[in-house]
Amino acid sequence: MSTPAITTQGLTKTYASAFGRKKIEALRGIDIEVAQGEIVGILGPNGAGKTTLLKILLGIVSPTSGSATLMGRPIGEVEARRKLGYLPENHRFPPYLTARQTLDIYGRLSHLSADYRAKHIPLLVEQAGLASWIDVRVGKFSKGMMQRLGLAQALLNDPDILVLDEPTDGVDPVGRREIRDRLRNLKARGKTILINSHLLTEIELICDRVAIMNFGQIVRSGSVSEISTEGTGWRIQCRNLPNALDLSSYNAKREDLNTVPVPVPVPVPEKEIDTGQVSQDEVNLDPNVEKVIILDSGLTETLNALIDYLRANGINILSVERHRRSLEAGFLDIIDQQKAKS
Amino acid sequence: MKETDKSADLSRLAMKRALSGSLLLTFRELWAMRLTQGIVAVSTLAWLLLSFAMNLDVVEGSISALKIFGVASVPDEMVKDVATGEWVRQAISVDKFVIGISSFVFGAAYFLGTLLGLFATMPLIGGFLEQGRIDLLISKPLTRSRLLTGHLLGVLLTVLALATYLILGVWVAISIKTGLWHPIMLLSIPLIVIMFGVMYSVILSVTIVSRSSGLALILTYGLIFISAILAAHDQLEKVLSPSAKLIYRIFYHVFPNFVEVVMIQSQLLSGEAVSSWYPLFSSILFGSVIYGLGYFWFNRRDF
Ligand SMILES: Nc1ncnc2c1ncn2[C@@H]1O[C@H](COP(=O)(O)OP(=O)(O)OP(=O)(O)O)[C@@H](O)[C@H]1O
Ligand SMILES: [Mg+2]
Repeated sequence: MSTPAITTQGLTKTYASAFGRKKIEALRGIDIEVAQGEIVGILGPNGAGKTTLLKILLGIVSPTSGSATLMGRPIGEVEARRKLGYLPENHRFPPYLTARQTLDIYGRLSHLSADYRAKHIPLLVEQAGLASWIDVRVGKFSKGMMQRLGLAQALLNDPDILVLDEPTDGVDPVGRREIRDRLRNLKARGKTILINSHLLTEIELICDRVAIMNFGQIVRSGSVSEISTEGTGWRIQCRNLPNALDLSSYNAKREDLNTVPVPVPVPVPEKEIDTGQVSQDEVNLDPNVEKVIILDSGLTETLNALIDYLRANGINILSVERHRRSLEAGFLDIIDQQKAKS
Repeated sequence: MKETDKSADLSRLAMKRALSGSLLLTFRELWAMRLTQGIVAVSTLAWLLLSFAMNLDVVEGSISALKIFGVASVPDEMVKDVATGEWVRQAISVDKFVIGISSFVFGAAYFLGTLLGLFATMPLIGGFLEQGRIDLLISKPLTRSRLLTGHLLGVLLTVLALATYLILGVWVAISIKTGLWHPIMLLSIPLIVIMFGVMYSVILSVTIVSRSSGLALILTYGLIFISAILAAHDQLEKVLSPSAKLIYRIFYHVFPNFVEVVMIQSQLLSGEAVSSWYPLFSSILFGSVIYGLGYFWFNRRDF
């Protein structure tokens, strides 16, 4: 097995304020492992510690305890940062430099040769969609343009690991799609990407895995589909659903089982409905057409009861699978659960 | 070549590149602040004035005529006649004239240059340490010390270039006019650079620790003010009470002697033996300690 691109073991960070009165525990024991070639998203509410985690990996903030490696090298080693690209949150470039000068200086800092810089800078600026702005002072750039230039800067040294703190912040939808395409492209070339964003639809589109942080801890991690199906009900696809399926009798039948939530069939197009009794006209469905019933309970018992009921009524079940909601819905659920716990 | 030699060479080259990046960043910023251009313009004006607007007639080692913009005047001084013991008016000697002009140029460059230079570099260090910029710089593959050194070197090299431009220009202009070549005047250049460096240590280190370049500037100016008081030690120590004298002494030895260093220069210019190099050395020591603290903090601070 190849070396993991990023590992952390028990990372903690406590910020002490100037007079040591108030302490902020920004991280409380973070263990992650990112394999080479993975795109991992870090999600979490404001102040969860996402930026702190990224900054520790880059040697900008020193951990209070714990350790971490980049490509097998301990963080803090200069060599570990050689094949690294970073786009900080709210980054600023000196306003008096042009795009070309900016990339040239940052390229030097990354040890790139003059030839390499001369060849790649115009290329990257073009890919960032800033070709006609290459010799314009950065101070005149809009927020989204700064963000594009920031990304070009992060890619300048052809990094193996790319660390992006809210890369699409302020970028228009077309630009965001371009960035997504580029990140997918990089992944195809075996690059590892750690990305921190509040735009969950973006994360959903590009990340293999996500880690959800809250109060300095990783409260959940897994593949995008794991997070977006977790704790959800079932999606039942069936045929021959009669026009007037008497669900009231089913509802009545379930009443003896108080503990089990009542299933709610939903007509196509799919939509989620709160648990409750279903009126007849809501299930006034066309027969001989494929229909989807979404059961908002995750309990297998309920699922099986519903399946029995549907089968007894001569309905053909085509498939049963976990209902997938958006990553955002999954994320909000997990954060709400956290809130309820504390 | 052995493999290890090669990689050592490569990494040395890489480090040079990284340092050049950090230097270039500083140069570009200074240039963009129009500071260097301003000083170059003023310096150019100074030595153009000396070379073209001023006409000197030297007769037997004394200045018999001085014309500035065509207006004649004979600079003179009161001299005690050795034979009669009376004070008489006499044309000034070229030597004294040169010393006078040189001291003036040095003094102006030293005080104005340093005060303005420190003021003008305040946004430079503030920008360097700004959130969103310093974090990106630190994430680059070079040590924090090297990054800070690139910045510092950029500032000091700029000061060196500017001081050299002004002093060398004035020196050449005066020397051609008077025919007197006093290379000792060029010692002003390292003196200006060194003392600027000493005062810059405060602005750099205080900004690193406190994150406030305004506070740093106030402290630096405060130290320059204190050094003016410390320079008057001969007169002041006579009138101080013993305990006040002790505090004064401690201050004298601990703080930079920015103003007293001017004495060294004027003694050098007039050809006298330098009575004490102590103010210079104690200032350098002060600067080194402050830089040490600044580097220490810069290396361990979170950004
Ligand atoms: N330099 C610092 N000094 C003191 N406290 C800090 C510092 N940087 C961050 N913090 C605190 O650490 C906590 C985590 O901050 P962090 O910036 O990592 O959050 P984040 O998850 O990136 O939030 P956001 O989504 O708003 O960017 C916050 O409570 C913040 O106030
Ligand atoms: Mg953040």
